[in-house]
Amino acid sequence: MDNKEKNAEHTAEHEHISSYREHFGTWAALILLTLMTVFISTFGADLRTLTVATAMLIATVKALAVALYFMHLKYEPKIYRAWLIVVMVLFAFFLVMVILDYITR
Amino acid sequence: MEHFVLPNSGHNFDAKSSKMGMWLFLYTELLLFGGLFLVYMLYRYANQDAFLLASFELNVWMGTINTIVLLTSSMTIAMSITALQKGNNKLAINLAWFTILAALVFLVIKYFEWGAKFDHGYFPGMDHYNELPHGERLYFYLYFFMTGLHGLHVIVGGIFIAIVIKRIKSGHVNKNRISLLENSGLYWHLVDLIWIYLFPLFYLIH
Repeated sequence: MDNKEKNAEHTAEHEHISSYREHFGTWAALILLTLMTVFISTFGADLRTLTVATAMLIATVKALAVALYFMHLKYEPKIYRAWLIVVMVLFAFFLVMVILDYITR
Repeated sequence: MEHFVLPNSGHNFDAKSSKMGMWLFLYTELLLFGGLFLVYMLYRYANQDAFLLASFELNVWMGTINTIVLLTSSMTIAMSITALQKGNNKLAINLAWFTILAALVFLVIKYFEWGAKFDHGYFPGMDHYNELPHGERLYFYLYFFMTGLHGLHVIVGGIFIAIVIKRIKSGHVNKNRISLLENSGLYWHLVDLIWIYLFPLFYLIH
C-alpha cells in the first residue's frame, strides 16, 4: 500500500494522465471537422479560392487538436510549445524566401 | 557515490530526456514534410488547372475513410498510454493491437488506390504518365512521392507499436516506464498529423 502510494505520487508528479473521455471527445471533434472539410469541398465548388483557405484552416485546427490533446502538448513543460513556435517560424521563413525567390524572377 | 550510474548499464533510464529527444526528432520530420509542402505549393500555384484536373483521378471517399481510420488509430494509441499509466496492461495491449490493425486497413486501402493508378498508367515513367501535360505529371509525381513517404512512416510506426506490445508483455514497458509506448505514440500521431494536411491538398481540390 505504501509502495503503491509512492508510485502514484511519482507518476502524478511527472506525468499527466489524460482521461479516456478527453481522448474520445478529441476524436469526435476531429471526425466532425473531417466531414465538414469534405462537405465544403464537395458541395461548395463555386467558392474555389475560399475552399482552399477553409480546408487549410480546418486542417490546422485538426493538427492543433492532435498535438495538444493526443500528443499531450498541452500538459508538457512550456519549452515544448516554445520549440514548436521556433519550428513554425523557421518554416514561415522558408516559405517567405521561396515566395520572394519565385515572384522576383 | 550511492547514485552513481554506470553508462550503458541499463539503469540510466531518463524518461524526460527520451521524450525531449523524440520531440526534437518530430520537429525535423515536420521540416522534412514542410519542404515537400513548399514544392507542392509552388507547383500548384503555377499549374492550378492541371492540379485540379489530375485530382479528379483520386477517390475522395477512399481518402475520407483513410482519414477516419488514421484519426481513430490515433485515439486508440493515446488511450493505450492512458491505460498503461493506470496500470491496465491488458487494455493497453489491446488498444495498441487495434492501432496496428488500423495501420493495416490504411495500407490495404492505399494499395487499392495506388493499384488503380498503376492500372491507368499514372505512375511516373509509365506510358500514360509520359503523355500527360506537364502540370498533371507534377501532380502525380508529388502524389506518389508524398503519400509514398507517408506510407513508409505508417509501416515504421506500426513496427514500433508491435515492438512496444512485445515489451509490455515482457514487462520492460510498464506503468512506471511508459517511455517506449509514449514515444511510439508520438511518432504515430505525427503520421496522423501529416495525413491531416495531405488529405485536403491532394483529394479535396475543387
